[in-house]
Amino acid sequence: MSDLMQTFPIKKIIEQTNTIKSFYFDQTFEAQPGQFISLWIPGVDEKPFSVSAIRNGLLEISVKEYGPFTHELMRRKVGDYLGVRGPFGRGFSIKANALLVGGGIGTAPLRFLAGRLYENGLSFTTLLGAVKAQEMIFTQYFESVSKCYFTTDDGSMGSKGLVTDNILKIIKQEKIEFVYAAGPEIMFVKMKTLLDPLNLPYEFCMERYMKCGIGICGQCTLDGSGIRVCKEGPVLDREMLKGVTELGMVHRDATGRRIKK
Amino acid sequence: MLKPNFLNLKMTSPLTLASGILGLTASSMKRVIDFGAGAVTTKSFNMEARPGHKGPSIVPFAGGILNAVGLSNPGADEMAKEITLFKEHTTAPIFASVFGRTVKEYGEVVQRTVESQPYLIEVNISCPNVRSEMGTPFGESLRDTANVVQIVKKYSGKIPVSVKLGPHGPGIGTLAKVCAENGADAITAINTVGPGMLIDINVQKPVLSNKTGGVSGPAILPIAVKSVYEVYEKVSLPIIATGGVTFAEDAVQMLLAGATLIGLGSAVYYQGMEVFGKINQGMTAYLNQKGYASVSEIVGRAHE
Repeated sequence: MSDLMQTFPIKKIIEQTNTIKSFYFDQTFEAQPGQFISLWIPGVDEKPFSVSAIRNGLLEISVKEYGPFTHELMRRKVGDYLGVRGPFGRGFSIKANALLVGGGIGTAPLRFLAGRLYENGLSFTTLLGAVKAQEMIFTQYFESVSKCYFTTDDGSMGSKGLVTDNILKIIKQEKIEFVYAAGPEIMFVKMKTLLDPLNLPYEFCMERYMKCGIGICGQCTLDGSGIRVCKEGPVLDREMLKGVTELGMVHRDATGRRIKK
Repeated sequence: MLKPNFLNLKMTSPLTLASGILGLTASSMKRVIDFGAGAVTTKSFNMEARPGHKGPSIVPFAGGILNAVGLSNPGADEMAKEITLFKEHTTAPIFASVFGRTVKEYGEVVQRTVESQPYLIEVNISCPNVRSEMGTPFGESLRDTANVVQIVKKYSGKIPVSVKLGPHGPGIGTLAKVCAENGADAITAINTVGPGMLIDINVQKPVLSNKTGGVSGPAILPIAVKSVYEVYEKVSLPIIATGGVTFAEDAVQMLLAGATLIGLGSAVYYQGMEVFGKINQGMTAYLNQKGYASVSEIVGRAHE
């Protein structure tokens, strides 16, 4: 583990979809699913990314082209040096009979989690949602280790709609005892309203604008309890989420201004 | 026992949250109070929102932390809301750290800030990591320092003013004297040191996007202790000591050098938010062991 800046060459790149690529680096530290690294593209910027797998001596992150930083990252080639610091934050706990709910690129940390659950001999169910079939990632992998359900906005894969449409049915059907989720925050808000009445424990993997990653700058603190997403998170459990008043409503930009979601 | 004698403010501990650390939101600063700080200082702000420098902007190294956040802040209006919100949740004092790109802006931001009634205005004239944008910090020139303190005092009303100085320029003791002559009520010593630089040996380029940044953490403790010692000799104003304090022994050194309050920043990285409670305990143990009844008894003792 290192908080210090160190650069490593990209070992391998896999194109997952038109807009999503996985990048691989030599594994120089251990990490837990849900933890993240800070990625520096020299001359560009530094941004946090969830680890999507650690296996065969390689650290994997999976990135969707979204803004200027990821646009630059997509143009990097094997052998290019990037800064990798981490792992940062608190990851998922390991539970039996769980449901993994992923929305869009939020599926990335769940792939790492699925691997760890599988290695621990725990059975689990996966529910993945995406805009369309071409945006769905790691489906083969999830199908090889768990029972899977898919939803797409346009109905091009699985059922048409949102992951939250069928979640209660799946929870009942698969006798789910614990729920993990990663994806857009609006999904968390809906899931909270569905899961809280069932008294089902859950963990959500949060995202916020980050600067330091090491718990000091305060950029990623959440209104309410004031906890830091980079340190007490990014994985927050039901108890910790109770103290958060901004869920699904606001986040902060680089200046620290509140931006309505 | 730990109650400091500082500008008649009611505080349970001489420990404050230093500016630039966890000071962006009311919720975050309230949490710092819950961990044992006697007061908090906001992140430095000016009139307009600033995104700051791109990353990497904060990078630890073996002896400390190098940062060039670039004075990012949501602007005076947003920070005034956070100050008001903080005051609704706790009676612990909040200090507003302000800066301006011009002397005139210092006046404007103070005018805007007094409305939210912070317990103290800390004037940051020594940030070392915005040189390329703003030039040499005001706090490295006696005349600029005098001008800023004058305009701040013109608008600060009854709210006390502490001027945050660095170890650079014409000498911190001389600078502190100028601050005192122009009406400052306290001195905060010191800001981050430098600027410094780290270079990645693979890509052969500076690590910080701003190339240079201020050095904080254990590496600068001796510089900070000496600076506090010097300010205490030159002026009779209370001192808020910041710079490299990580353990209770460091805080005690600052008190002995002449500090009334001690600001913690990088210590949160080294010891977690629990550092406030840990240092409170350590200071209490020291006072008990040496037979003192109050923390104020040891302020400046190294000078006797």
